Amino acid sequence: MMALAAARMAVADAGMKTDTLAGPRTAVVMGTTMGEAQLLADMQHEWILHGPTAVRRAQIPRYGSTLLPIHVARALGARGMVLTLPAACAAGNYAIGFAADLIRAGRADVVVTGAAELIQELQFSGFVRLAAMAPEKCQPFDLNRQGLLLGEGAGLLVLENEAHAVRRGAHVQAEVGGYGLSCDAYHITRPHPEAAGSIAAMRSAIERSGLSPEDVDFVNAHGTGTRHNDAAEAKVVHDVFGERRVPISSMKSMLGHCMGAASALEAIGCIFTLETGIYPPTIGFETPDPECDLNVVANEPQRGDADVVINNSLAFGGYNAVAVFAKPGVLPEPREVV
Amino acid sequence: MKPRAITGVGVASAFGVGWTVFLEGMRAAKVASPVDGKVDVPGFDPTKYLGDKGLRSLDRLTKLLVVASRLALHEAGLKRDGAWTGITGEDVGIVVSNAYGSLEAIAELHRVATLEDARYINPSRFPLTVANSAAGYASIWEDIRALNVSVCDGNCGGLDALACADAMLEQRRARAILVGGVESMSEPLHAAFQRLAVAGESATLGEGAGIVALETMDGAIARSAQVLAEAVGYGTYFSPPDNDAALLHPSTEAMEQAIAGALADAEASPGDVDVVVSGVSGLRAFDEAELVAIGRALGQPWVIAPKLALGETLGAGGALGMLAAIAVLRDGAHGYSVRGTVRTQPRTALVTCLGYYGNASALVMRAHSG
Repeated sequence: MMALAAARMAVADAGMKTDTLAGPRTAVVMGTTMGEAQLLADMQHEWILHGPTAVRRAQIPRYGSTLLPIHVARALGARGMVLTLPAACAAGNYAIGFAADLIRAGRADVVVTGAAELIQELQFSGFVRLAAMAPEKCQPFDLNRQGLLLGEGAGLLVLENEAHAVRRGAHVQAEVGGYGLSCDAYHITRPHPEAAGSIAAMRSAIERSGLSPEDVDFVNAHGTGTRHNDAAEAKVVHDVFGERRVPISSMKSMLGHCMGAASALEAIGCIFTLETGIYPPTIGFETPDPECDLNVVANEPQRGDADVVINNSLAFGGYNAVAVFAKPGVLPEPREVV
Repeated sequence: MKPRAITGVGVASAFGVGWTVFLEGMRAAKVASPVDGKVDVPGFDPTKYLGDKGLRSLDRLTKLLVVASRLALHEAGLKRDGAWTGITGEDVGIVVSNAYGSLEAIAELHRVATLEDARYINPSRFPLTVANSAAGYASIWEDIRALNVSVCDGNCGGLDALACADAMLEQRRARAILVGGVESMSEPLHAAFQRLAVAGESATLGEGAGIVALETMDGAIARSAQVLAEAVGYGTYFSPPDNDAALLHPSTEAMEQAIAGALADAEASPGDVDVVVSGVSGLRAFDEAELVAIGRALGQPWVIAPKLALGETLGAGGALGMLAAIAVLRDGAHGYSVRGTVRTQPRTALVTCLGYYGNASALVMRAHSG
């Protein structure tokens, strides 16, 4: 439901009539961690307590991450690829990045893309049992940070190839640059302490956009507020940006960690930054941590240059994905538009 | 798409583990002997391939995928005796389809949450609940670092994974990519499949992992790799049911359009297709829709249905279909005919997958000449 609502809002915001999206040249690519997890939990509870016949037969086909893009495609009339990229907490960037690749490869003109996630008991308890959860507040990059807080939601974007956007006279909000992927191949939940994979992904995203680190005005951090993540992320920023103190912030301090949906929602935040020049704050930031010696946008929003922003994300599985967004006209060819 | 080289295969299926065993099964047209409507990977013993250290926290899904990945890397000559040869993990990626994740681990945690308290769930099993966990472990075990992508599109996902990997090769994100799919047998999956079964239908639930090593043709030739077959064209289509309330939807239109898209992508014509490796599995409405679409798109080609032996392996289905196509193109396997007959040694194969929700994907593969 959240994905559908967000999809309709995205399409309305893009000023599109629904018939613009109908047909095989529109694809839907969605990210998630567990998809319709509550539905599965409900069925399994019935099954565990009362046996398999207690599970309502009609419920079974409603479960599966496959269905996220299918529901969206049905609502929009899209007939191209319907694909889910379950990339855990980096799923939004995966979906947006792959959507851009689909357009570059000529396999679609428009891709409705993003991610959705809901909170349910299992994920909540899981993070508690991993001791990753903060007792009260999420304080990314703070010396006394104690962990993350969970959130939920859906964020969707409409990506178009440039010619298609020009042809329909679209208001272009931002352009998608390159995106970088890598895998730590180190530990299933913890980021690599030297962050080599994450560094490679960020460098790759910037290079693939035809840019250099000096061109980046703002970094939206993965910034979960856990000890391991934030320290590793500080290493990445120091390695990629060197002496330069690029402004960085974590929207998770405000939105919570929306898991699969996180980097899609934060991509929308990045576009907001491009449009307004406002850097969103990291709230709850009290005491700087020498291990995270960064130019954190602390507690209050700041204004600054906003031609190019990058959206960093990491996930279980050692997944790293970084996306670059830019003001229209800033990126060298080839580029995609939102 | 540009022709891509398939340079190695790793597989665990109802035939057993390994490419040789798979080829023998296809050649002999072995039949499945389902028990309770399911076929497992017989005698699957991961310690034989992975040793006995570090397996305890892994689920069956992960073990199937890691074994198939390791075998594919060695079969492709990318690794020898566990070490990279002429390439490093930074240049190798993995793109894997899976439909339902680790229902085994999720059910185990739900059992604790339901019967005791969610506070007591085992934290070392929690990471298995995310759908990309198996692929993440494959990276850790095999040192695959360029990229790691999990895709989910039901039983079409194996072919979509190939399209995804094709885009990644085109963007030079990796030199070689392990591509395929995995699904594992679990109590909840089996219970769900049985609960949905319609009287008089004979679909069997299967499990397995099918992985191919995919490279650019230039890259494969440059390192003098064997080329088992080429992937040359991909198509996909979504067609919703007319009835808004319907969910399950065997769409002839989607299948037909996906085939047309794959042929156009391969710059091939319907007459070029020597064999269709279909997803026909014993679910009547879906089998009929797929066969009607194949007939409309291609006339009267030879159609085989390896799922009659391998079972419906969902996320692994498209990948095992690719492997069956390679067996036919290279080995002249002749079994599992459901329409038409083989005429000449096939040079071009079409793999088709019809999804449960109006989705369909197709892939054109060719024998490698040279």
